[in-house]
Amino acid sequence: MNVIDITGLCKQFTGKRMTKVDALKGIDLKIAQGEIFGFLGPNGAGKSTTIKCLMGLIRPTAGTAAIMGEQIGSVASRAKIGFLPENPAFYDYLTAEEYLRFVGKTFKMPEALLTRRADETLKQLELWDARKRPMRGYSKGMVQRVGLAQTMIHDPDLYILDEPMSGLDPIGRALVKDIILDLKKRGKSVFFSTHITDDVEKVCDRVGVIVKGQLEALDSVENIVRQGIEGYMVQTRLSRGNHEALGGFAVARTNETFIEYFVPVAGFNEFMALAGQHSVEVTLVETKRKDLESFFLEIVGKGK
Amino acid sequence: MTTIIGITLKGIFRDRVFQGIMVTACAFVLIPGLATLSMRQVTELSLTLTLSLISFIMLMLSVFLGGTSLWKDIERRYTFSVLGLPLSRQGYLLGRFGGTALFLLLVAVVLGIAAGAVVAFTASVHPPDRPIVWGTVALCILFDVLKYILLIAVAFLISTVSTSFFLPVFGTIATFLAGGVTQQVYEYIHSPASKNLSPIMKQLATGLYYLLPNFSAFDLKVNAIYGLPVPANGLFLTVAYFVVYVGLLLSFSAAIFSRREMR
Repeated sequence: MNVIDITGLCKQFTGKRMTKVDALKGIDLKIAQGEIFGFLGPNGAGKSTTIKCLMGLIRPTAGTAAIMGEQIGSVASRAKIGFLPENPAFYDYLTAEEYLRFVGKTFKMPEALLTRRADETLKQLELWDARKRPMRGYSKGMVQRVGLAQTMIHDPDLYILDEPMSGLDPIGRALVKDIILDLKKRGKSVFFSTHITDDVEKVCDRVGVIVKGQLEALDSVENIVRQGIEGYMVQTRLSRGNHEALGGFAVARTNETFIEYFVPVAGFNEFMALAGQHSVEVTLVETKRKDLESFFLEIVGKGK
Repeated sequence: MTTIIGITLKGIFRDRVFQGIMVTACAFVLIPGLATLSMRQVTELSLTLTLSLISFIMLMLSVFLGGTSLWKDIERRYTFSVLGLPLSRQGYLLGRFGGTALFLLLVAVVLGIAAGAVVAFTASVHPPDRPIVWGTVALCILFDVLKYILLIAVAFLISTVSTSFFLPVFGTIATFLAGGVTQQVYEYIHSPASKNLSPIMKQLATGLYYLLPNFSAFDLKVNAIYGLPVPANGLFLTVAYFVVYVGLLLSFSAAIFSRREMR
């Protein structure tokens, strides 16, 4: 079953002087159970608008969407989600512990379970020492971690996270990545938006790129990475064999011990055969690929 | 909804605006001294001042808590996280309203006890000509609470359509001022003294009379101060008016708020 099912989702905003802005132009997207989905896009592309539609914060102009079979905007659909808004803000007069208890109560968690889960998530998100302090004294990173804690307290099957790494330092980012990977291991589904490709590459199964309200690309990270192989960097020992036989391949770098060739994917077998025939010792083969960022920039470039 | 009521109460108790306004309650200690300026009706003046002070504090609380509760949640982006929880928007709005109204009732109880102590002290030093009818005093405070709960409902309605702080706050103040005189205006335009007024003006005033809240019906100060009897049917009508008016205001507020886009 799909945990998220979006069909033809459109959103038009009316701006000043009644100007119409098409923020979403017919998004079709399905997220499977247990999938970690990265929703990539530049600023203003429509990532948060999509998420706000899913959460019922704004109404789509056209199209439909369901969360685990429940129509978006309904209380029932939100009861199955852990949601982290972009740049979250919580009642700052409350402590982290009080806020988590409040969230747990809205999910009708039993008292004993709520206390146990609140303690666990506070410790996991490294908020234990600050749990009794009002959130108005928290740093941005701490508030972001409270945001993550409140998504996890009721252990939902689906997490919708809008820019979960925003405002976190490298340690915090690593912590969030670990949490997402742990959720994946436990069969949870995560739909998260970001504009940082590195986050997606490390944790996602699939990625969608939205540009100007349209889903321009949708593929598995594995496919993207595989398609992105440009060639190989092959290191050979200078002192062994006849290197003149490899003259048809571009030399990328050389020093007194090694010569490194750049071998395109199509020429790799030929290169290896020639190297074998002419006793050239291959000491290292390194795949050269476009990273997800290049893929993202390419898609965004096309979208523009 | 009860969780929202709980959070609302916690927020108000920790709010600096509330703490500031409650400092005003310290003025109670000045009342016995000030009341002696009357010389002849010391206890009556003491009662007038305490009831007026309670009314003033509740007005401040209604305007600033009622007018800013929803606006603050939207402005500070709390709604994004709270409305992402399995709560209906109507439940959220009613919870916020219920929390603020309940708080007002608690404040009235506390201030009522303080007022009772002040008036009892004054009466012991300067015995009044007429006995103090404590039941009527309590009724006066209770109807004041109803009046300000109604005002909070007005503030919530304005907040559901407003994107700024000014409209809910000043709109609530304007409604309070207008609601205090609608009865007199209505009586004036339906009296011979208004024969020179244009029919359009009269119709407009009559329309506003029905549209705006009528706060004068909730005012039992004179009855409380002079120990006058309060007609039961009048109280019943006022309570019915309160229930219907607040019900309508909250229904409109909920309908508007449930359609509001949280961009």
